[in-house]
Amino acid sequence: MSEAMVRTVDLQRRYKRGKFPVPALNGVNLTVGKGEILGIIGPSGSGKTTLLNLIGGLDRPTKGTVQVDGVELDKLSDAELTAYRLRKVGFVFQFYNLIPTLSSVENVELPMALAKLPAAEQRERALNLLEAVGLEARADHMPDELSGGEQQRVAVARALANHPSVVLADEPTGDLDSKSAKKLMEVMKSLRKEEHATFVLVTHDPIVVAECNRVCAVRDGRITRESRIGEDGRILDGSRFVMDALF
Amino acid sequence: MRTVLTVSGIVVGVAMILVLLSLAAGTSAQTGGLLRNVIGSEITVVNSTTPTFPGGGFNFTRTGGGGGGFGGGGFGGFFGAGNTINESLVDSIENMSGVFVASPALTTSGYVDGDSVFLYGIDPGTYSQAASNLTLTSGSDLSSTGQIMLNSVTAANLGVKVGSQVTVGANSTGGAKYTVVGIYSSGSTFGPLDRSGYMELSDAQNISGREGLVTEIYVKATDSTLVNQIASDIDTISGVTANVASGIAGSATTLTNTMTTFFIVIGLVALLAGAFGVINTMMMSIGERTREIGTLRAIGATKRQVLKMFLSEAFLIGLIGATVGVFIGVVVSFALPSLTGAAASSGARGLGGFIPGKLLPTLTSFNLVLSFALGSLVGIAAGVYPALRASRMDPVEALRHV
Repeated sequence: MSEAMVRTVDLQRRYKRGKFPVPALNGVNLTVGKGEILGIIGPSGSGKTTLLNLIGGLDRPTKGTVQVDGVELDKLSDAELTAYRLRKVGFVFQFYNLIPTLSSVENVELPMALAKLPAAEQRERALNLLEAVGLEARADHMPDELSGGEQQRVAVARALANHPSVVLADEPTGDLDSKSAKKLMEVMKSLRKEEHATFVLVTHDPIVVAECNRVCAVRDGRITRESRIGEDGRILDGSRFVMDALF
Repeated sequence: MRTVLTVSGIVVGVAMILVLLSLAAGTSAQTGGLLRNVIGSEITVVNSTTPTFPGGGFNFTRTGGGGGGFGGGGFGGFFGAGNTINESLVDSIENMSGVFVASPALTTSGYVDGDSVFLYGIDPGTYSQAASNLTLTSGSDLSSTGQIMLNSVTAANLGVKVGSQVTVGANSTGGAKYTVVGIYSSGSTFGPLDRSGYMELSDAQNISGREGLVTEIYVKATDSTLVNQIASDIDTISGVTANVASGIAGSATTLTNTMTTFFIVIGLVALLAGAFGVINTMMMSIGERTREIGTLRAIGATKRQVLKMFLSEAFLIGLIGATVGVFIGVVVSFALPSLTGAAASSGARGLGGFIPGKLLPTLTSFNLVLSFALGSLVGIAAGVYPALRASRMDPVEALRHV
């Protein structure tokens, strides 16, 4: 955890709503270590998703810089940013966002197909990932034949397909029951070890927080507090603030 | 399911276009045929010295059917005059461009069982096409020489019926035996015409001693718009005059043109409606998939890849839709005649027989290709704009779309 995988410096983002610019981020300085699972918590509208979009190269900052795996994102063209998303980032969405017309294994293959990997290699990697998330038996099922938890695990497998440097998840358990949420976090933790991926998770869910190494609380576009989480899932410092942010 | 709906949108559009185009083509052809039958002969060719009657208002109907010498036709034979033309002209007229059929006729007078009648020598094979059908009350058409059809009044006067033998000759005493094969009603109140009979042209020529000569040639054009051109072509032949049933032909031309325009407009409206249906389903399909597009862009699909995906999908949908649409259109076109009632043309002869009681769509290969090409092209074209919009969508916005 010595090396920084993600680093943001004075990150700002303003949106134009009508005539007035609305600040979403007001100077965020954040470092995420390699292999870390970082949770970002905070009330809605605090700028969590904006931060995730900026790290993921879906959006560009108004001011400040984002560096991921040594790459300065603001120096990339739109096309390069697309390639960055394909190869360096894995996204997990609250509502899974699987392609409904593709089977589980095809959904996992999709990023590799976009990266033009050989078909045999795609299939092998996709089946390995499905096995890792415990869904090898569901490889040929369509998304609507899977439960929410299963769909989200397929989505996690898809996010990891191209060996990304960082996996960004926006409320990954937001639509799941607690049992599915726990299973999902187990899968993520084991994949972190196997795939050496770094996770940044935006969440409201104590189950997710318990599996993080660290949580940052965001309020009004700033990181107001951060806490380390112990191996046993206990909040090591600033527990009160984390609790406030969660409940 | 969504794809099925999108495809059906195109299917319906294409099928509608095809059926309407077929109906238009069929009805247009029917109209042409119908008009050709209604107006009798369009041109009557007579010897140029034959006096002609003015056509206006004089509704002279030779037969009960369509009327052979309708308005302004030649009356040469009416007077039994010697204003004949050579029969060989029939072939040269029939070979003129735009001529549908040319039928020779010799009008003369003679005696049937001692009664004076007008005798019309005709070519049974072409007469009904060129001039009109007789309205038979009993019996049948002429099928060979030695046969005669008599007007019902004449038959009644003579006391003969179908199958009777009558003596026909140029004068009241001599003549040859003829078999009465048919009795027709003239429907005419024009006295002298009640005393008439039809026979083979060669018989009439024998009786009158005018071998190889005819008094009129009735001409029909393939298209009523060609009538005037044909008439002036015929006029260049020396010794004959082509009398055009001008009023009728003129309005027939106008009617045909109006109908054609009408069906072109209907076809265009069908095409437009079909195209809009296809565009609409395409737009809706892509609009509903905004979040999918956002996902694709987020996980690293390039704009080009998204565009390609949606265009190839539109192409496939357009192709499938057009294929199924053409198939259904063909089936419906074939099914329409039996769905629109039984044929009205059986049995009845004359004018009534030519009014069709059912719709008869005509499938032309042009219409098939047109509706297929239109369906698939519109499908693809309709996919271009939404696909472009999809590929250019801001992924953050697209992901937020529910």
